[in-house]
Amino acid sequence: MRVQPNLNFLVVDDFSTMRRIIKNLLHDLGYANVTEADDGKTALPLLKDGNFDVLITDWNMPGMPGLELLKQVRADARLAKLPVLMLTAEAKREQIVEAAQAGVSGYVIKPFTAATLKEKIDKILAARAVA
Amino acid sequence: MTTPAQEFDQYAPWVTAMARALDDGDGDGFRTALAAFDQSRNAEVTQQVRRIAIDLHEALERFRIESKLIDLAQHQVPDARQRLAHVLRLTDDAAHRTMDLVERCCPLADQLAEQAERLILAYDAEGSAPALKPQLLAFLKQAGTSMAAVRSNLAEVLLAQGYQDLSGQIIRSVMTLVAELEEALGELARIAGPVGAAAGCCAEAGMARAHGPVVPGINLGHTVSDQQDVDALLSGLGM
Repeated sequence: MRVQPNLNFLVVDDFSTMRRIIKNLLHDLGYANVTEADDGKTALPLLKDGNFDVLITDWNMPGMPGLELLKQVRADARLAKLPVLMLTAEAKREQIVEAAQAGVSGYVIKPFTAATLKEKIDKILAARAVA
Repeated sequence: MTTPAQEFDQYAPWVTAMARALDDGDGDGFRTALAAFDQSRNAEVTQQVRRIAIDLHEALERFRIESKLIDLAQHQVPDARQRLAHVLRLTDDAAHRTMDLVERCCPLADQLAEQAERLILAYDAEGSAPALKPQLLAFLKQAGTSMAAVRSNLAEVLLAQGYQDLSGQIIRSVMTLVAELEEALGELARIAGPVGAAAGCCAEAGMARAHGPVVPGINLGHTVSDQQDVDALLSGLGM
C-alpha cells in the first residue's frame, strides 16, 4: 500500500517509551506527523480540536483508559468514523470482544513487531479509503 | 463481671431494708426498697449486655481483617512475587537483547573505520585516485551494506525498550497490593490497641477492568497468547 505521508496520527500511551517506539516506527513507515498524549483525558480535547486521521491508543492508562476513549470517540459525531487502533497488553478474550463491540478498527497485542504494526495500519487505512 | 462479694455489697442494703420493712409491717418502705433493688439489678444486666455487644463487634471486625490478611498472604503476595520475578526477566531479556544488537553494530563500524584508514594510506602512497577506484567502489558498497545493517539493529534496539511499559504496569499492580496490605495491617493495629496513628492508605482507584500484561503462572481466565490469536478472534467476529 502506498504511504500517504501527510496523514496525522495521535499516539496515546501513558508510557513515554512506548509512545517513542510507536512514533519511531511510524516515522520508519513514512508517517512524519505524529502527536502524543499520555491518556484518554488529554487525548480527547486534542482529537476534538485537531484534524487527526488515525488514533493509536493503549488500553490500560490512568485518568481515562483507552476503551473509554474509544467509546467517547465513537459517540462524537465528528470523530465517529476515525480509525482507532488499540495497541495494548490487555489479552483477555472478553476485553478484545468488548473493544470490537465498542467499534475498534484494529487490535494489536503487546509486545508487538514492526511488521504487525505496519500490517494493521495498512489494513485500517485501506478500510478508511473504501469507507 | 461482678464478683459474689461485690454483688453482696451492692444488693445487701436493699435486702436488709426490705427485711426491716417486712418486720415493721411497712408496706411503702418495702415497695421502695424492692424498686431500688430491681433498678440496681437491671443496671448491672444492661452494662453486661453492652460489654458483650462491644466484644462481639470487635471480634467480628478482627475476623474480617484477619480473613483479608490471610487472603493477601496466601494468594496475592505469592502472585506479586511472581509478577516481580517476571519484571526481572523482562528487564534482563531487554538489556541482553539491546547489548547483543549493539555488539553486532560495533564490528561493522570498526570494519568501516579500518577500511577508510587503509584507503587514506593507499591514497597518500599512490598520490592519485584513479588507481584506487576499484577499492573505493568496494568500500562504498561495503559502507552501504553495513549502514543498512546498523540502521536495522538500531530499530530493534528501540523496540527492545518496550519492556519498560510492560514492567511498569506490573510494578503498579504490585504497588496497589502493597497499599491494600498496609491498609489491612493498619486496621488490625488500630483494633489491637493504640500504637499510634493508623497509616493512611491511598489505593489507586480506577484501572477498572484493565488487567495488564499476561504474566506466566497467573491465571487471568481466557487470554490470547499472541497476535494470531487476536486476529483469529476478531475474524470470528467478522472484522
